[in-house]
Amino acid sequence: MTDVIRCEGLTKRYPGVTALDGLDLTVPAGQVFGFLGPNGAGKTTTLRILLGLIRPTSGRAWLNGRPVPDPDGLAEVGAMIEEPAFYPWLTGRRNLAVLALTGPPLPAGDDPVGAALSRAGLAGVADRKVNGYSQGMRQRLGLALALLRRPSLLLLDEPANGLDPAGIAEFRALLRTLASEGSSVFLSSHLLAEVEQVCDQVAVVRGGRLVEQGPVARLAAARARVRVSLEPADVGSALALLRRWPARADGPASLLVDAADGRAVNETLGRGGIWAHQITLTRPGLEETFLNLTETIIPEVGGAAASR
Amino acid sequence: MRLLRAELAKLNRPLAWGVAAAAALFCVLLAAGGAHNAAVGARSAPRSLPSCAAMGVRAGPLCTRALAIERSRLTEILAGPAQVAAQLSPAQAGAESAGLMASLPGALALALLAGGHAGGEWSGRTVKNLLTQCGRRWRLTAAMLGSLWLAGVGLMTVCWAALAVTGPVLARLNNLPAPDATAGHEVSLALSQCGRALLVLAVFAAIGVLASVLTRGTIGTTATAAGAVVAMLVLASLPGVAGWSPATWVQGWMGFPAGQASITALPTNFWSRFIGPGGAPGPWSGLAGLVGLLMATMLLAGRVFRRADVTG
Repeated sequence: MTDVIRCEGLTKRYPGVTALDGLDLTVPAGQVFGFLGPNGAGKTTTLRILLGLIRPTSGRAWLNGRPVPDPDGLAEVGAMIEEPAFYPWLTGRRNLAVLALTGPPLPAGDDPVGAALSRAGLAGVADRKVNGYSQGMRQRLGLALALLRRPSLLLLDEPANGLDPAGIAEFRALLRTLASEGSSVFLSSHLLAEVEQVCDQVAVVRGGRLVEQGPVARLAAARARVRVSLEPADVGSALALLRRWPARADGPASLLVDAADGRAVNETLGRGGIWAHQITLTRPGLEETFLNLTETIIPEVGGAAASR
Repeated sequence: MRLLRAELAKLNRPLAWGVAAAAALFCVLLAAGGAHNAAVGARSAPRSLPSCAAMGVRAGPLCTRALAIERSRLTEILAGPAQVAAQLSPAQAGAESAGLMASLPGALALALLAGGHAGGEWSGRTVKNLLTQCGRRWRLTAAMLGSLWLAGVGLMTVCWAALAVTGPVLARLNNLPAPDATAGHEVSLALSQCGRALLVLAVFAAIGVLASVLTRGTIGTTATAAGAVVAMLVLASLPGVAGWSPATWVQGWMGFPAGQASITALPTNFWSRFIGPGGAPGPWSGLAGLVGLLMATMLLAGRVFRRADVTG
């Protein structure tokens, strides 16, 4: 499987600010890939470098195997960066037609502009001037622009901003459809519930560096915890027995163990002669995992990031 | 060519139509004022030269010189109606239009259009859309220049058309004499001046494009482009350095008559009033200077844009 995006040591410094600090990232083809991080983590900067809008201070990046910036390669890439902006005095359809002229010829078809507008759910208002569009409509027009050339790779930055719940559901379905048709989607978003539902893999960045990357389920599993209820007198002995896992007391009669296997915890305690009243496995959602990765647990998983 | 078509499609906007309407109105109002001034000036001019005593000058060489100046002024005033009538003939109005658009009014109109059209790509944050469709920034720079230049040519055409329609009416209303130049001469003069104006308009457009990539905003582009042209004119008025000002290259290339310090009739341009007599080089030196300025401006604009981070 080829990589649609690869970054090696990507760094971008502005006076007084390091937006990206040696980002290494690999995105496999044919997936919906979530790109997560708190504000200022370097997500938009990464997308801008990939699209040739800004130049990295150091490091290299490839899109579809071609080093960026690559003007020719843009024909296979659809992009929507932050809040999309258009020419307000033109209609939605005219905006796309004009922007279509600025790039390579559109793929053959009856009406590629109309098809992109329909796919983004804008067919009904395509002939209205953009200055009358709501934020959600502009967002959809941005999506239509990204889909205009039927790209093999979509780079989307907060694409669901301003969409109503129905729009978000449509958008989620659209992403899955695109992936099933063979397109790769690189999705930068703060809507973790959406990312969790549509993404095959996610990468989490913080302070311009990659903190964690992997399938959504594995990331959540890696943060699974076992809660053990037991006699208060047994807490100390139990902590000693469970020393192979990070564990801590959570109240007078309870322990929290960073482990994904409740049976192994139970077995270890039983061998030591301690019998738990209750053992519960908790798997955090992506949101909790994200918060853990970007806030409190950073020192455990990314010493370099934590050391800054 | 696809990029140029896209840029021209974007120029189909209220700002461009507004500037075109303003240019037409300006040309017509200027013609109306010029025709009226010429007619009134000729009517109220004295039929004979004043005496030395009437001028308060003692007879002698001083009076002779004063009489010569007065004779020249009177001749100019009396010739005014015929000259304005010629300027307002439908064919020769092209030369008038070229003179106005290749001088300060045209420069300011193009600065305004550059602000909306080129600088607006940054203010409106649409430049990122352009660059994600076409990553070749040199081509985008060239297309912006081409579209602005064509807009300038459009303004010149609009002004010519407005003068061609209203000029004969204004001449008749002010009882101006029929122009005595042949149609062939009028057309030849108009085409020659319009042809020369094409280069000047390209320079004004290039200054606008450079201002847009430097300032990255509508207001900054308009102010910088207009300021650059005004600075050229200020430089041209300074003794010793006037020859280094692009304003004198425009003056030399367009062949604008020197002076025209007051609007007693219809001025052929709004440029030479800022440049003293003898300050302009010959037409070929002017041509070389303007071509060099055009190339340097575009090279700089392309280079700045190619290296610029687009973060808006």
